Amino acid sequence: MNERARGLTPAAAERLLVDPGPYLSCDDCFEQVDARVEALLSGASEPLTPEFRGHLVGCAACLDEAWSLAELAAQDAGVDRASVRARFEQALEPDRRPLA
Amino acid sequence: MDEVEPVAIVNRSPVVAQMPPPPVDDWVSRLRDDVHRHEATRELHQLMLRAARHQIARMPEGRDLGWARREEIVHAAADEATSSVLSRLGRFEGRSRFTTWAYKFAILQTAVEVRRSAWRQRETDLEALGEPVSDATGPEAYAESSDLTRAMREAIDHALTDHQRHVAIALLVEGVPIDVLAERLGSTRNSLYKTLHDARVRLRDDLTTRGYLGFATSEEAVS
Repeated sequence: MNERARGLTPAAAERLLVDPGPYLSCDDCFEQVDARVEALLSGASEPLTPEFRGHLVGCAACLDEAWSLAELAAQDAGVDRASVRARFEQALEPDRRPLA
Repeated sequence: MDEVEPVAIVNRSPVVAQMPPPPVDDWVSRLRDDVHRHEATRELHQLMLRAARHQIARMPEGRDLGWARREEIVHAAADEATSSVLSRLGRFEGRSRFTTWAYKFAILQTAVEVRRSAWRQRETDLEALGEPVSDATGPEAYAESSDLTRAMREAIDHALTDHQRHVAIALLVEGVPIDVLAERLGSTRNSLYKTLHDARVRLRDDLTTRGYLGFATSEEAVS
């Protein structure tokens, strides 16, 4: 049996079908991530641009690193971890769910 | 020839000593200041250690590496991140706190090394990942197949290039981390993500055309 076919579960199909939105490179994501994360923590109404949000939903590595940065920055800003997670998930919605 | 009076050479120490030190949170000034640079660099390194430890602690892949290897990664990442920050001080534009800006370098260094270390012992036949997937047989394949999944297999085989199929299957089906795949293919994270982005656009367009999706990528609508 083809190993790739075995792995093409509905979950994998969902990951393949993520709407990537406008293209943003990993390098550009890295350049922006600190400012975006702080906008998120400050409660800005639109903290993530469509390009940035699309990249996070489409790139598991960048999402993990952005999430980690948000946790660290939140500690410095006195924001609790649960709030960070809630704000992050809200910012990634409504049009997409994160990969990780 | 008259001797030149060394007017350009000024003993700066008394002047510097009279100047107030930069504020503690003025990282850029302190890291550039002759007097405060050493202490500020030491503090920056501590900051990078904190970020590296935070990152490795939240990665499931790091748990099997063992304490010694994790410590090795943390310190190497902190060293590398400190150098990265110091060499990019001129690019810090104040769009975030300095600490938030600096953390990201340690997080990146740590995350990449943990992913690579965790996958170093894993055998993955990356060459085979470009094979077609729609001719699969066997109960597991059929049991998991919805109409959409079957259509996906066809789209993967017919709408993607060999390279796009290879990258998409490795990253999203086999779960190979993007840094690991980039290292093994001699590529970059940027390049692989662009390939994945294009593959997703093609898949969505193909499935939309065939009536399996209500809409294609939002790229055109936004840009």
